[in-house]
This record gives sequence, C-alpha cells and structure tokens, in this order.
Amino acid sequence: MKLAVFELTDCGGCALNLLFLYDRLFDILEFYDIVEFHMASSRKSKERVDVALVTGTVSTQRDLEVLREARNRSEYLIALGTCATHGSVQGSVENAKEAFRRIYGDIKGPTKVLEPRPITEYVPVDFAIPGCPYNKEEVFQVLMNLARGVEPVAKDYPVCLECKLNEYECVLLKKGIPCLGPVTAGGCNAQCPALGLGCIGCRGPSMDANIPGLVEVLKKILPEEEIAKKLRTFTRW
Amino acid sequence: MIIELDEFTRVEGIGKAEIVVEDGTVKEARVKILEGPRFFEILTLGRSYWDVPDLEARICAICYVAHSVASVRAIENALRIDVPPTVEKLRELVLWGEIIESHALHLYLLALPDIFGYPDAISMIPKHGELIKEGLTIKAFGNTIRELLGGREIHGINIKPGGFGRYPREEELEGIAKHAESLVKFARRIVGIFASQEPRGAKAEIPMVTSEYLWGDDLIVGEDRIQYIELDEVPVNYSFAKHTYYKGKPIFVGALARLLLKEKYIQGEAGRLLDTYKDKIESRYVIYNNLAQAIELVYALERVAELSNKIASEGIEKGIVEPEEKSGEGIGYVEAPRGVLVHHYRIEDGKVVWSNTITPTAFNQGMMELSLLEDAKKMYGSVPEESLKKKLEEIVRAFDPCISCSVHFVRL
Repeated sequence: MKLAVFELTDCGGCALNLLFLYDRLFDILEFYDIVEFHMASSRKSKERVDVALVTGTVSTQRDLEVLREARNRSEYLIALGTCATHGSVQGSVENAKEAFRRIYGDIKGPTKVLEPRPITEYVPVDFAIPGCPYNKEEVFQVLMNLARGVEPVAKDYPVCLECKLNEYECVLLKKGIPCLGPVTAGGCNAQCPALGLGCIGCRGPSMDANIPGLVEVLKKILPEEEIAKKLRTFTRW
Repeated sequence: MIIELDEFTRVEGIGKAEIVVEDGTVKEARVKILEGPRFFEILTLGRSYWDVPDLEARICAICYVAHSVASVRAIENALRIDVPPTVEKLRELVLWGEIIESHALHLYLLALPDIFGYPDAISMIPKHGELIKEGLTIKAFGNTIRELLGGREIHGINIKPGGFGRYPREEELEGIAKHAESLVKFARRIVGIFASQEPRGAKAEIPMVTSEYLWGDDLIVGEDRIQYIELDEVPVNYSFAKHTYYKGKPIFVGALARLLLKEKYIQGEAGRLLDTYKDKIESRYVIYNNLAQAIELVYALERVAELSNKIASEGIEKGIVEPEEKSGEGIGYVEAPRGVLVHHYRIEDGKVVWSNTITPTAFNQGMMELSLLEDAKKMYGSVPEESLKKKLEEIVRAFDPCISCSVHFVRL
C-alpha cells in the first residue's frame, strides 16, 4: 500500500510524532511504501496513494491547494491531530485578516492568508484522529487496521473514563483544579491528570459532552470569561 | 531570471527559496517562509499566566520544552517568582533532553542522507541501518527525558511557572544518568561523519547566544550584551517571517554560535572532540553548524549524566512557588536546540496583556539568505541547475530550520 503525509500549517508535531514510533515505524514500512513525507524525505511523488495523512489547519491558499491535491490523490484520507480535526490553537483566532495586519503591517506575504480552519471544513475525511499531539499508539493501530482491510473505530468516551480506569485522584472534584476531562474526547490515557494537572482539552469535545454541567462546576473555581477561554483553546465548539 | 527552489524537504515546516540572476550574475537570494501565520501573540492575550506556557508550547513540537521554559522564565521574571535551585536544575536537564532529541533527529534523519547521497534515512537502512538505529536510540532517549520532566514527548504541560506538576523520583534520575553514559560512544561516531564536510555557506561573523549556557538575562552579540529590543525587525513582502538585524547586519544563532562563545563549558569527551575539530568550528562556516550540533550532542549526554546524578544525590525540593506580584513585565531568554529563543510578556492582575515571541529560525533568516547568496554565486554557471538547487537546499538544512516557529515574529 502507498502512504503519503501532507503537512499544512501547524507546529510540525503531528508529522514528528510519526517518527517517534521508532521501531514500530519499521512495522508500518512492512505494509506501506511512504511515497511522500516532506519532513522525513526528499522523495516527491504525484502518484495516487491508498492512505493520506493530513496534518495542520488550512491557513493559506497554499494549504488549501495541498489539501485538495491530497484529497484527489488518495483513497482514504485521515485528518491527523487537533489542527486538522478541530482547528486547534490557531483555529481559535477570530479575525485572521485583522490579526495579520496587527502583526505584519501592510506587507502582502508570499501567499494569500485565509481564516485558519480544520481540514474537515473543506473536504470530506474518511477518519479523524484528534490530539495535540494525537496518541501515536492510535495512529499505529489505525494504519495497521487499514493495511489489513479493517475499518478503524473512533473513540467516543471522555478523558474522565481513562482517568477512572487508571484510578487517578480526581483533580477537578478532589483538588479543585480546573479540568476539561469530563467534556474532552478520550484516547490520550488521561496524561495530564496523571501529572496532577487538569486536562486542557487538547483532543476536542467528546460525544454527548455536557458543557453546561461542566461550566456549573467550573464556576466555583474560575470566573466565567476564563472558562470560555479555556474551552475555546483547541476548538471553537 | 529567477531560479525557484521547491519547498524544502527534511526540515520542519513549509518554506522555499529563490535565487535572482541578472545579466548572468547572481544578485539576490530570498527565503520564502510559506507556513501560515499562527498568531500566538494574540492568542496569549487575556489568558491567565498559569495557562500561557501550555499554549506557547504549541508553537513548536521539536522544541516545545524550550518554549515552555522561556515562557515560565518570562512569567517568573514578571511576577517575581523565585524558584529553588532544584527546579532550575531540572529545567536544565529537560532542556538538554530536548537538545538530544532534536539534534539526533536533525543529524541522523534529516541531514545525514545528504552526506550519504540518499533521499531520506529510510532508504539508508539496508546499507547503513546500524547508524540510523543508533540515531533513533539517542532520539528516543532525549524523549524519555522530555516525557519524564515535561509530561509527554510532545506538548507536555508539566513545566509550570514556579515548578513542576510532577517531580521525578531519585531512581528515575539515576536511570537517566546510566542511560546517557551508555550512549556517548554512539554520538562520538556521528561527530567524525559531520567533520568530513567541506566549508560552505556564509561565515557566521556575529554569533550570539544567551549569557549562560541554556539561558540568561540578555543576548551576547559580538562584544556587546544587549536586550533583544535593540535588534531591528523588518517585515518582508515575500515571507511570513520577519528579518532581524543588529546594527544593519544579519545575526546567527545556534549550536555553532554556542560552541564559539561558550567553549569553556565544553569539557570531557566533547571537549576533546572540540579540540580535534577546532579549526573547522573556528572557520565559522555555517555548514559546520552540523558539526557543532554533533559535538554538542556528546556534551549533552555527558552533562545529562552529571546533572541527573547531582540532582538525585542532593534530593528534590517539591512544590510550586506562588507569585509575589500579580502584575509585571518579564523576558525569558532560553537556548532552543537551533538557537536563542525569546518570550516577553506584560502581565496585569494575573493575565497577559502584551506578548511577544522571537524564535531562532526567525533570527537566522538574514544569515540564511546570505549563505544561499554566497554559495549560489560560487556555483552558478559551473554546476547544472538541478544540483545547484540540491546543494542550496543542503545549506538551508544546515541551519536546522524550524519554520513553524518562525511565523509569528512580531512586536505588537
């Protein structure tokens, strides 16, 4: 099978995280020929691929063109990481044109600047793996499943579930630390509560998230405008 | 006529370059950073100081720890938070972990294929598999440190203003020390390989680093010690990264600058290697930034072993130091793997009201163009255009550019 990685505007972490698979990267190479992956290889290809991984937000005209090419060339397209699935941090900028003027003044820039948006707003995707960064075990399993012809299954439980399974002390209710675990999609194995810190919501909303319920709890700890800012860090909801 | 280089490969982020040729002579080189703007200075506004380092970490995945530490140091300077020596040492340790991870990534996976003539490290595996595996082992070790102290391999949130969320146990630190010692012999091998390169690129005439190894309170530029605001920042129409000059000249940051200015720190095996290759380092050619990274990789492993043992034997003071003030202004200078990084905030009533970040790749833009210009002048007309392009991309890679970082180089 042929695999390609396309990178749009982001921190580079989602592409880098693939390299952090180390030895298991070799397992992936047993099934896949990586025909394009600009961070790791100078190979360039225009051929059709079976699986395309797309990271980052559409923030420029160049990003949009790369995304359309990725969609046209691939059978199965995976939005990889919270930028691609929910917009992540740069996706919460309200008015990119105005922000651009504040930062750069009157320059034109090398390519047209667009409002930063997740790729899911531009093209249909076949599967989405959120996370800032995503859990590399998850992408490994998904790629292995696809290689065997098995449709991967999305995780639909909140971070709280993983926290309870690990028997961590609840940071929100026991320690009064702001935590978005109850409304955030699981799959990270509750890494932040494991450190005694609150979940910052980097995987985006879980299904059936009870936002008003969480806001009521958080109001006892934080002023309302801070709650809103926390919730909107990685996604616009 | 304009010679267009394709989008750079084996670098982090999206950028390309063009060489302007007029009347048969190379006139200009432009580095075009295409990565979309990411607006971090605006995103941090109105946020609680406590949440800001987690947000700033997202500027870059390869060096999220450097961003976290620069951010907490700026916040601590602003709010007068005085952390205990153990916290300082643990921060130094995790920054070395990041330098190990980042240098190993760059040297073994991104730059090495140029020396061996391959498109990527994966293609090298059949013939040079051992070397690539050594690199991956070192890289994984750097990440072990980032995970232990930073909270996870990428974008951990354990580095907080005033301390750490979770502190390591003594046996974890002792394990780190032993592991580091065992990897020095691998890293030594890569130094010899990168020492074989011919001099290329511009000469780094004005190196700059922070005042001490890994962080300080100002910048060293030649003979001067300055605050970063004394540098000139210039937006350009063809790039999303602004350019920086000091007294009208481009500046250079990174491993080569660190070795040139902080030679006295480099001791042990790394010190012997630095002596061996002193001529090359002191020639100041930009290409030897890779050799400097390799020597620094050896030093990082030795320093990690020493530092982890020291922290484990002294014992760890745990907890988070609370701020003395609610408002203030502070700058954090930290050495990221590819050079000095600046975070600067004004905080009012616990919230960031003004924020600025300058990253190493943004600092290096002018020097990168100068290097392309000098090499293009030497090669144009005497080598085929395709190999000219390939050689020029190699010199961009020697900077280990981190393009995502460079796209919010602003003063609001």
